[in-house]
Amino acid sequence: MNKLSVRGKAAASRANDWVNSSFSDLVGESCSLPGQTKGLFQKPELKKARKRKVEDYHISSLLNEVVQRDLDEPWVDRYSPSSQDELAVHKKKIEEVENWMNTHSCSSKGGVLLLTGPSGCGKTATVRVLSEELGFRIQEWVNPTNTEPFSMRSQEEWKTNSMFSRPQQAQFQDFLLRANKYSCLRMRGEDGVTDKKLILVEDMPNQFYRQSSSLHDNLRLFMRTSRCPLVFIVSDSLSGDRSSRLLFPKEIQEELDITCISFNPVAPTTMMKVLTRISTQEAGKSCTKTVIPDKKVLEMLCSGSSGDIRSAINSLQFSSLPDTQSLENDLWRMQKDKPLVSKGKAFSKTNQRKKKSKNKKDEEEEQAIGGKDASLFLFRALGKILHCKRGNPDDFEGDDVSTVPVLSTHLSHHHRETLLVNPELVVERSHMSGEFFNLYLHQNYLDFFSEVEDVDRASEYLSDADLFTSNWTHRSIMEDYSSSVATRGLLHSNSQQVSVGFRPLHKPNWLLINKKHRENCLSAQSLFRNFCLTPVSLQTELLPYLAKLTNPMRNQAQITFIQDVGQMRERNYYSRTKLEALTDKEPGQLENEGEEEDKMVKEEDQGGSEEGLPASQPQPTTSQALLEEEELNIEEYDSD
Amino acid sequence: MSLWVDKYRPTSLGKLDFHKEQATQLKNLVQCGDFPHLLVYGPSGAGKKTRIMGLLRELYGVGVEKLRIEHQTIVAPSKKKIEINTIASNYHLEVNPSDAGNQDRVVIQELIKTVAQSQQIQSSTQREFKVVLLTEVDRLTKDAQHALRRTMEKYMATCRLILCSNSTSRVIGPIRSRCLAIRVPLPSTEEVCSVLTSVCKKEGLLLPPELAKRISEKSGRNLRKALLMCEACRVHQYPFSVDQEVPETDWEVYLRETANAVVSQQSPQRLLEVRARLYELLTHCIPPEIIMKGLVRELLNNCDGQLKTEVSHMAAHYEHRLQLGNKAIYHLEAFTAKFMAMYKKFMEDGLDDMMF
Repeated sequence: MNKLSVRGKAAASRANDWVNSSFSDLVGESCSLPGQTKGLFQKPELKKARKRKVEDYHISSLLNEVVQRDLDEPWVDRYSPSSQDELAVHKKKIEEVENWMNTHSCSSKGGVLLLTGPSGCGKTATVRVLSEELGFRIQEWVNPTNTEPFSMRSQEEWKTNSMFSRPQQAQFQDFLLRANKYSCLRMRGEDGVTDKKLILVEDMPNQFYRQSSSLHDNLRLFMRTSRCPLVFIVSDSLSGDRSSRLLFPKEIQEELDITCISFNPVAPTTMMKVLTRISTQEAGKSCTKTVIPDKKVLEMLCSGSSGDIRSAINSLQFSSLPDTQSLENDLWRMQKDKPLVSKGKAFSKTNQRKKKSKNKKDEEEEQAIGGKDASLFLFRALGKILHCKRGNPDDFEGDDVSTVPVLSTHLSHHHRETLLVNPELVVERSHMSGEFFNLYLHQNYLDFFSEVEDVDRASEYLSDADLFTSNWTHRSIMEDYSSSVATRGLLHSNSQQVSVGFRPLHKPNWLLINKKHRENCLSAQSLFRNFCLTPVSLQTELLPYLAKLTNPMRNQAQITFIQDVGQMRERNYYSRTKLEALTDKEPGQLENEGEEEDKMVKEEDQGGSEEGLPASQPQPTTSQALLEEEELNIEEYDSD
Repeated sequence: MSLWVDKYRPTSLGKLDFHKEQATQLKNLVQCGDFPHLLVYGPSGAGKKTRIMGLLRELYGVGVEKLRIEHQTIVAPSKKKIEINTIASNYHLEVNPSDAGNQDRVVIQELIKTVAQSQQIQSSTQREFKVVLLTEVDRLTKDAQHALRRTMEKYMATCRLILCSNSTSRVIGPIRSRCLAIRVPLPSTEEVCSVLTSVCKKEGLLLPPELAKRISEKSGRNLRKALLMCEACRVHQYPFSVDQEVPETDWEVYLRETANAVVSQQSPQRLLEVRARLYELLTHCIPPEIIMKGLVRELLNNCDGQLKTEVSHMAAHYEHRLQLGNKAIYHLEAFTAKFMAMYKKFMEDGLDDMMF
């Protein structure tokens, strides 16, 4: 008992500490906690003293800041867009968001807007700029943090101090309802004529990723009483926009009437414009401490950031620091060497194309600063392998041919032009395991071949590739080799090199079939156990004949199973072979269920991941917007 | 009403219809009340299981026919739970360890240990050992087979093993040498015919000898299949007519159509269709090895004698890869593509020869 009270005291004092420190920081928590304010009112004199101190601190820090700001402030903040014109987002997109905000500000009923897109494409900036212009106040949710580690509190304290143990989720709910219900206080000195408000949620409470249903409940509650617009911003990750699909599935979007606008990566021209603007402004300041990079460097930064303007600006700032300049030159010299050599050659017209491809190669090379890991969507990656782009023999000039080693005549049928893609790089950028990539290739390669002989060779390579990964103990090592064999094998065996035009791509059927095969075998054994037969003779002898016999002693499950599996009808054949088309943005998904066995590879295709963007949205481009590929349209495809 | 296969299965060694000499040998073997470990092998549908059950009955009396299906859970050392079904009487235990996939070693060790360690209570009225019947021994992993070899010696006092498999080629030497191997060959066509006729007689049906012969030929002397076929004929049409169609299983018909499709046209598009058909067969529980085998047989029927050796060579090559590899479809498809290329070349060459 005594112990407990002591601990209670300790807890109180600790709580005071917490209050004090937080107050001195003047951090305006958006959701203030009622329990803490009490402590403040009990000690008015303390409060005063502290306030003075705070003011002192503020003045001094302000003075310091003026000096320091120029050096330390990130350019991203300094040059953050202040008007629509400065936004590096497509005009149409801005308009779309603006329209939504307009319609939802005048009506008393608020709505929910979901913004998606890769990171650094200007989602938040758009919202901020627009709300500034349309006179919205932004109230943003920030995940609260616990200042003390968990271990410091005992179990009892958790119980007594209920305010600490309140889950983020509940706090989020409170925040939503309060922000919705009460308008902001009007402060003196603020000429805020507006009481229009916009709730912004960028920082999702983590719990929602595990239980998206609680988010949906919150939203339903919100929608019932909503008075102001609510904006969610969710970034796409490398594996596609999975988090946004997880948090806001289609049904919920329809049910709650959520508008979804997805942003594209920033276009290179726009990005270039912004970078040039910033660098000229920096140069205008004539600050001796920065060195303004030339246009070539800007271009490089621009292509390396793959549409992420934030990272582009950051790397611009970094590369303009005088200290890095020298280092950078070293790094870049190595890369610059090559194009210089090629420039030395004659500038004939036929070289134009070659140069282009050379340039492309440069971009693919790693960058010293600000290079972002480029990634390819699966659709593109497969297209690169299957379409088999090779160099044009006409591009070579007379002296080039002699330097290229030629295969002797008996091997001449193996001669191929140089590849324009690096297969290993493509597989790596598709962010998929080699095994799974092979399955995708296997599903689709036949459409791209016209000769049986080529197919024969290709299928042999695929078979080889499978052998590589057969042993699970070295599968992780062999996987790379296996995908290399498969991709290069397919590329080499496709001797025809004709452009086949557009072909729809499909998801591999094998995983589904394999799963079904296993399931059927298991259920066959469990349903017909009393026949005491080995699986093979059960499946190939007994079951097919049972389907032909009129044997009454069977239960319902057995009857349906026999009808389904024992008999083979054409009807089933067509319904099953309907293929799932692979859409452009589809991320390759692979789920490994803790496999540790040899042949029992448990890979399951995540079905139902078919997502369609609203028709108003343009098809998303790849993150490597610069790579020119033929534009492909996706359409539904039935096998018959 | 049960199936004819089960209904007219001979229950004792004395009632067997064929291989009678072997039956008497088996009877003599257990005459003294004891016998060594047995390895019974032979093609499927030859009557291995029937003979084993007859042997057990000879040993223990009718008690072995009271079977119960038990569901056992075994915890592997890695804390993984393995569930396996066993069929047991008071005197014996039948288990198919390959049901457990790669964990079959654990099944062998744990299950046999528990059975063998428990002594029989009344050794006066019963035998002093139990019998463990392992089916599909040829599908056991090497690990499991080595585990088995140790177990065999250790529990010889309380336990006898009867191993049942289709062939001994995948059973390791040490096990083969520890067992008395008994081969049960397929019955001859005449024997199958006589069994069919006697079964029909017991059913009160009249089976024309010509039909009986055709059934037995079509079944490949697999007695189980022959009886199932005969019963299917009965459902299809009775009274039997001599030229009645003998029903085949759906998958065999389907596989033949697939092979015909391969032979009739060789193009990537056709291969795509064939792939869909292979997938369909797989979803109908047909194991990939059987598909490969059936496909080769049908293809060989369709192609020229000159090609046959080469085709079977390729088939063996890809069948081997099928066993080693992970995903059957790669190898099935590679074989089909190979055949297509080979066949196409052969036909084109033949055409050229005819021109000149």
